Amino acid sequence: MHGAREDSDTMVVGDVTTGTDVLVIGAGPGGYVAAIRAGQLDLDVTLVEKDAYGGTCLNYGCIPSKALVSATDIAHDARTAEEMGIYADPAVDLQGMVEWKDGVVDQLTGGVEKLCTANGVELVEGRAEFADEHTARVVHGGDGQGSETVEFEHAVVSTGSRPVEVPGFEFDGEHVLSSRDALALESVPESMVVVGGGYIGMELSTVFQKLGCDVTVVEMLADILPGYEDDVTRVVRERAEQLGIDFHFGQSASEWEEAGEGVTVLTEDEDGEVAEFGAETCLVAVGRRPVTDTLNLEAVGLEPDEDGCLATDEQARTEVDHVFAVGDVAGEPMLAHTASAEGEVAAEVAAGEPAGLDYQAVPAAVFTDPEIGTVGMTAEEASEAGFDPLVGQFPLRANGRALTVGESEGFVRVVADADGEFVLGAQVVGPEASELVAEFGLAIEMGAQLGDVAATVHTHPTLSEAVREACANALGRAIRTLNR
Amino acid sequence: MVREFTLPDVGEGVAEGELLEWHVAVGDTVTEDQVVAEVETDKAVVDVPSPVNGTVRELRAEPGDVVPVGDVIITFDVEGEDAPEEDAAGGDADTGVSADAGATDGTDAGAADTAGDGEAAGDSADAGAAEAGPSGNGHAGGRVFAPPSARKLARELGVDITTVEGSGPGGRVTDSDVRAAAERTSDDTGGETELKSAVRRIGDDEGDGASAAGDGETASEGAGAAGPEAAASSVATGGTGAGGAATPEAAGRERTLAAPATRKVARDLDVDIDDVPTDEERDGEAFVTEAAVREYATAQQRAQAADTAAMAGAETAGEAAAADAAVTGERERREPYRGVRKTIGEAMERSKYTAPHVTHHDTVDVTALVAAREKLKPRAEQQGVRLTYLPFVMKAVVAALKDHPVLNTSLDEENGEIVYKNYYDIGVATATDAGLMVPVVEGVDGKGLVEIAANVNELTAKARDRSISRDELRGSTFTITNFGAIGGEYATPIINYPETAILGLGAIKERPWVHEGEVVPRKVLTLSLSVDHRVVDGADAARFVNTLKEYLEDPTLLLLE
Repeated sequence: MHGAREDSDTMVVGDVTTGTDVLVIGAGPGGYVAAIRAGQLDLDVTLVEKDAYGGTCLNYGCIPSKALVSATDIAHDARTAEEMGIYADPAVDLQGMVEWKDGVVDQLTGGVEKLCTANGVELVEGRAEFADEHTARVVHGGDGQGSETVEFEHAVVSTGSRPVEVPGFEFDGEHVLSSRDALALESVPESMVVVGGGYIGMELSTVFQKLGCDVTVVEMLADILPGYEDDVTRVVRERAEQLGIDFHFGQSASEWEEAGEGVTVLTEDEDGEVAEFGAETCLVAVGRRPVTDTLNLEAVGLEPDEDGCLATDEQARTEVDHVFAVGDVAGEPMLAHTASAEGEVAAEVAAGEPAGLDYQAVPAAVFTDPEIGTVGMTAEEASEAGFDPLVGQFPLRANGRALTVGESEGFVRVVADADGEFVLGAQVVGPEASELVAEFGLAIEMGAQLGDVAATVHTHPTLSEAVREACANALGRAIRTLNR
Repeated sequence: MVREFTLPDVGEGVAEGELLEWHVAVGDTVTEDQVVAEVETDKAVVDVPSPVNGTVRELRAEPGDVVPVGDVIITFDVEGEDAPEEDAAGGDADTGVSADAGATDGTDAGAADTAGDGEAAGDSADAGAAEAGPSGNGHAGGRVFAPPSARKLARELGVDITTVEGSGPGGRVTDSDVRAAAERTSDDTGGETELKSAVRRIGDDEGDGASAAGDGETASEGAGAAGPEAAASSVATGGTGAGGAATPEAAGRERTLAAPATRKVARDLDVDIDDVPTDEERDGEAFVTEAAVREYATAQQRAQAADTAAMAGAETAGEAAAADAAVTGERERREPYRGVRKTIGEAMERSKYTAPHVTHHDTVDVTALVAAREKLKPRAEQQGVRLTYLPFVMKAVVAALKDHPVLNTSLDEENGEIVYKNYYDIGVATATDAGLMVPVVEGVDGKGLVEIAANVNELTAKARDRSISRDELRGSTFTITNFGAIGGEYATPIINYPETAILGLGAIKERPWVHEGEVVPRKVLTLSLSVDHRVVDGADAARFVNTLKEYLEDPTLLLLE
């Protein structure tokens, strides 16, 4: 960030025009990867960022939330390890925890900046908007900083997304928090109403409940984590309930009012019955929406769809051939790793390489307690795609390592095609599910068959043995569980 | 139980075959007699049937391998014995069937299971075959099972990976499958030039006659005709406009603005960026886009290819191949001499070096024949048959052979005897993609025009789609080659050994002709008859042709036959 500031100091006055092969707008995991890759391919790259390198992922999303999840777990696990003969009650200084988290974030964002510079990427601080098909204006932050015009051959739009606001629940950082606000709190609130039981709401609910906050989740739908199968979400919900989180389903948040030091959140069910939930503060996490409204897209001949997304092809190109869109702006799945994959492809295509997005499956992880890791198809999706699904499952309570880490809830499930026995997907819920799912990802991409995974010797004692056993179970030859 | 399957003796005296294609992949369920492979031998492409109901366990040969007869080419897991996974599949696929079987069989549960599996496996094999047809590797959901490296390679080589047949476990597509597909694609879509060359190659072969091959004279005519056309077509696709074969003009600037990526593309394509024409400017300097570079490179290559092709067109053979070579920048290209090509070559060699050939040429006025055919054609069509001139010629040939039996013979060298044949099985040289084949119409003397026409149409269609059997390709007593269908007047056909005569037909053309004392336009056909001079003298050949001419000049004489 500081380096970029020096650059802009030298071009304070007036509109300076520079030329570049690739203009990348937004330095999140889509944009910075596109910029670095383009730099590696000898293209002249300009990367514009208005806030912080690393985007939401590094600054307000994946990384800070995982830092807090892990730090919280240390305290929580110590407190609840009496079964293992450990008696402790660690004191938690949230401010200290947040500072440590900020250190981690700084290290990573600094790394991104260094990598960009080392690959010859020109960093410009400011907000970019298109002026015409081949030029963009970058407005620098702050008075008197002026603006500059960048002429580009190719543009990569990687502006990411921002949290959706529920009408009546405008974020104020005090009573109504966004996920970003929640990650920067200096002290643990006594109680919190979390609007939204999606993955962000669930991760943060778990963190705050474990920190001693009294969390109530209100969710419009009938269950947490929409899009995940019932037996997967049940493991997470039951654990959350065990931790003391209070769930109210079928409740749609309608308004809030101040109540003394805190808030009262009003919700309505589908019959119009109003319910009230009081707490010290309220966190709203109901989804994210692409940032495409600040780009003056018409100038380049593009119009986002009603969800604010830009449609792209398998080369990450928008309808305008020389403009690419990667990451959240290109729509679901809004995941950092797809953003990076798309960014790489966009850079290679801009450099004239025959790159393309042809992955078979995208993994996803939810860092609840326990974690969820999924990749590829569920059995139902496999059926819909015309496969005859062959399913294998292995309960983690039958895995030695799961018992030794004291977390034996959950299972590993694999979905394959009964004809060719090719691995099509996997659902893992349990400790380290986010890591375990990687092996299934490789299996899917390689076109591996169940027998390939089952024939691979896995380390004992590890959680990964459950992956092998699930595949063996699908083939009717798992050793440590009964074969169906 | 594993069953090994060896390459069967697919034809008389065949020692080896080239595996052309697998129709199954490892893991596929097959039923008895289902075609599992295509093997090219001698002169035919033979379907290899599965001997068992089972699952393909292993493919032991790759397409392109030449496999000796008796070598194991494929192994099967035979159902019911060592394939536990089939139980599950069977049950899923059709539980109704196994329930029925169980009911019928009463107490014998084992037998019921087996029956159920058998049925169900049959069903799923059918379904599999139906699916595999259009999509290539035939997995549900359009999903291709291939590692990312193979998918990347497919993109780089411009191959649609969904159409690639996988040779890996379960039909997984490997790098080498993708490369093989890319080679096939470049063969197929080498453009019109390539297509023309294929057509002409067949023309050459046909000109030579019966058992085919390289007659110099015909080949040079064919090449002469196709050459300029091939050159023109290769340019026409160039898209650089009216210039035709002209080399795109180099702009020859001193300075050019371009993105680094564009410059890299130019370097890769060996194009001087200052030579690329452009209308675009940046800051008053010429600006070149990547698209312009690629267009220029393509135009240049096409022009070069066209030049080469035009020059080669004057040569006796292979100008289209030369154009290909120019496109790819190769000086020469080698392809294996094998399969049908080699078989043709060996047959030619034997015929030409064994039988001293002499060729008799003549011209015949077929105006009346043309009229007769015009008249009969609609009648034949009513019977669903397309009537060409060939059946008339065949009838006339048989009539002439009856008068001159020495041309319906073969020489039995071993026993020192000339074999006179009292049957008239006429071979018809046919151009196919794989080369020349000679399907045989049996008993032409006992058949009418329409029946002969139907026979010829059916056999030539079978030869072209390679479904013809070996029996239909042998035993002719006399052969006709209709090189005129491609072009040319006279040829020196090579005898379909061990026959002793072959008749080559030129094209029927209208030309000035003295008819009843006046020069008038008449329909005229040129004839080229090659005979084995050991058995047939020049005089015999001339007399045979004279008789043949009588029948062709006045087809009503055939009514007396």
